[in-house]
Amino acid sequence: MKSKGRAGQVAILAQKVRKQYPGGTEPALEDFSLHVEQGEFFGLLGPNGAGKTTAVSILCGLFPPDSGLVRIMGLDVCSQGRAVKALSGLVPQDLALYEGFTVSENLRFFGRLYGLGGRRLQRRIDWCLELAALADHGDRLVKTCSGGMKRRLNLVAGLLNEPDILFLDEPTVGIDAQSRNLIHEQLLRLKDQGATIIYTTHYMAEAMELCDRIGIVDHGRLVAEGPPGELLQRSSCDSLEALFLHLTGRQLRDS
Amino acid sequence: MESLQTAWPKILAAVAKELLLLRRDRAALLVLFIMPAVLVVVLTLVQENIMGLTGQEKTRALFLDLDGGRVGRSLQEALAGGEGFELTVLDGRQVDETELRQRVRSGEHQVGIVVLADASRRLRSLTGRLVRSLPDRTEVLSPVRVVFDPGSMAALRAAVTARLRMALQMIALEDKLAVLDRELNQGLADLGLPPETVPAPFSSLGEILARPVLTLEAETADAKMRHDPVQQNVPAWALFGIFFTAIPVAVTILQERNSGIRIRLESLPVSPLVLFTGKVAAYIGVCVCQFLLIALLGMYLFPFLGLPAFDPGPAPLSLLVVIVAAGLAASGYGIFLGTVCSSHEQAAALGPTTIVAAAAIGGIMVPVYTMPPVMRKISVVSPLNWGLNSFQELLLRGNGLGAITDDLLRLALFFLVTVLLAWKLART
Repeated sequence: MKSKGRAGQVAILAQKVRKQYPGGTEPALEDFSLHVEQGEFFGLLGPNGAGKTTAVSILCGLFPPDSGLVRIMGLDVCSQGRAVKALSGLVPQDLALYEGFTVSENLRFFGRLYGLGGRRLQRRIDWCLELAALADHGDRLVKTCSGGMKRRLNLVAGLLNEPDILFLDEPTVGIDAQSRNLIHEQLLRLKDQGATIIYTTHYMAEAMELCDRIGIVDHGRLVAEGPPGELLQRSSCDSLEALFLHLTGRQLRDS
Repeated sequence: MESLQTAWPKILAAVAKELLLLRRDRAALLVLFIMPAVLVVVLTLVQENIMGLTGQEKTRALFLDLDGGRVGRSLQEALAGGEGFELTVLDGRQVDETELRQRVRSGEHQVGIVVLADASRRLRSLTGRLVRSLPDRTEVLSPVRVVFDPGSMAALRAAVTARLRMALQMIALEDKLAVLDRELNQGLADLGLPPETVPAPFSSLGEILARPVLTLEAETADAKMRHDPVQQNVPAWALFGIFFTAIPVAVTILQERNSGIRIRLESLPVSPLVLFTGKVAAYIGVCVCQFLLIALLGMYLFPFLGLPAFDPGPAPLSLLVVIVAAGLAASGYGIFLGTVCSSHEQAAALGPTTIVAAAAIGGIMVPVYTMPPVMRKISVVSPLNWGLNSFQELLLRGNGLGAITDDLLRLALFFLVTVLLAWKLART
């Protein structure tokens, strides 16, 4: 990462954010506020449709909120969107890779769009391949890679620009335990190097293992926030999953 | 907005990405390069054959003279002397009309002409009766029978029939004059006057009437330019291929939208305009390559196939302007398709169907002037028609860019409208 994050300094500040999609019956986010410090590993949990992806999309500048304030490393997401994008990285929930390209060609293309070139780009590609344990597979077409390899490549494609803030939207969905373990290890390594990480997941064990703090989102609002251990202590629940179900209910969220 | 200095390498990266995706897509390469190349060769060869069937080439005719008299000889001379026939004369002692019919039916020759036995004697007798007594009802002779290949087209039949009628009228006229001359001399002799008594114009009446004094000058409006299937088909099928670039454009957009790629691209510090420019520039490059391929085939392969070589005209660079305008229109349509469709299957079905329909309406497959009036009016809505008109102005009529400004503007406007519609749809 570019620089060691300085604890105590604000990386992400969101205040009273509201977002309603055209045609939606209720807002995807309502009165959503968040405060994440530099170097923090923050987990965003919530049932399907709770607003996690919308929150991540607004925080990394994909689209603006209807109202409210969002600042990333002190920069306004709406008016300084490109600067925000330059210092952040997003790993989307769906695989964001060209299947017809090789592993290296994917990284080279996204690296060039980050404005990298020459030796610096090659160094970043090598670093990413190493991090994802794909150094021996650089010339392999993505469509011939396993699910785990694709997930690892999907992750490192978001690290090409050495982001200060990394947004990860369920990056370990549907992969084997080995690949998930590798991704966890590398994310903790990045955190140690100073990166601020926003991580959405449905896996409670992941959140317990990785996150300094978590926020539970439901119906577009942050209903609980704090270190996982502290949240459990404050409640009468004996596990994060029990707390989650207590806060968000047992009703299925299919729509 | 990004500065040009930072945007330029990103545009190049986007161009390289599009070209690499296309290079790895064999089906798309087949559709963009092999399909128009095959179509232009096959259809030009077929249309050369149609020229033969419609009489634009020499008509292969069998000639069987069962008369052996003046009618047969004169008709053979009249047909062999012109440019329209490649005459094969059969020997009436060895071949009969049935065999001639079989040979024509087999397609070996397009026309069979039979001068019936006794035709000269019957003509002489008829004209003699006509001149001497001018009966109320004139008997009509049919001294010649024409047999056509069942596959020959109406235009060829009409041309051959007209030519034969003209030749027969000349023969009949000559015969009437000969009889008149003979009767005149006989009348003078009966009166005891020498033949020199007839005043000069009447003594050489036969020669005067036979000598042509009117002729028809028929030529193409601009004789400098060629108009044949090669000059029509090379730009037409290149244009067809160019519009098929809309399919890979749409497919890449769908691929990016239906995976997480679009979200990743939106999360990068790069303007959507940069990615859009890269996509359009890459496919305009593809369009130029397509046209080059088809033009080179026309210039260097066609002569080996017995076809005339394609002539790129006096200002080949003007063609580049049309290619770029057509490429823009095709890319715009591809972007629109990629936005409207929700799956690769939809784009793969809707894209080719609409392009083939627009090509048919626009005159790519059949020239617009051969269409019914309603279709001729509809043809002006097809972007392929605008592109084809532009090529024809440059290649067939020898005009410059000034003459095609309207069509170029229409193509550019089509690009703008489709892109704006796509942008509006993408936002909703």
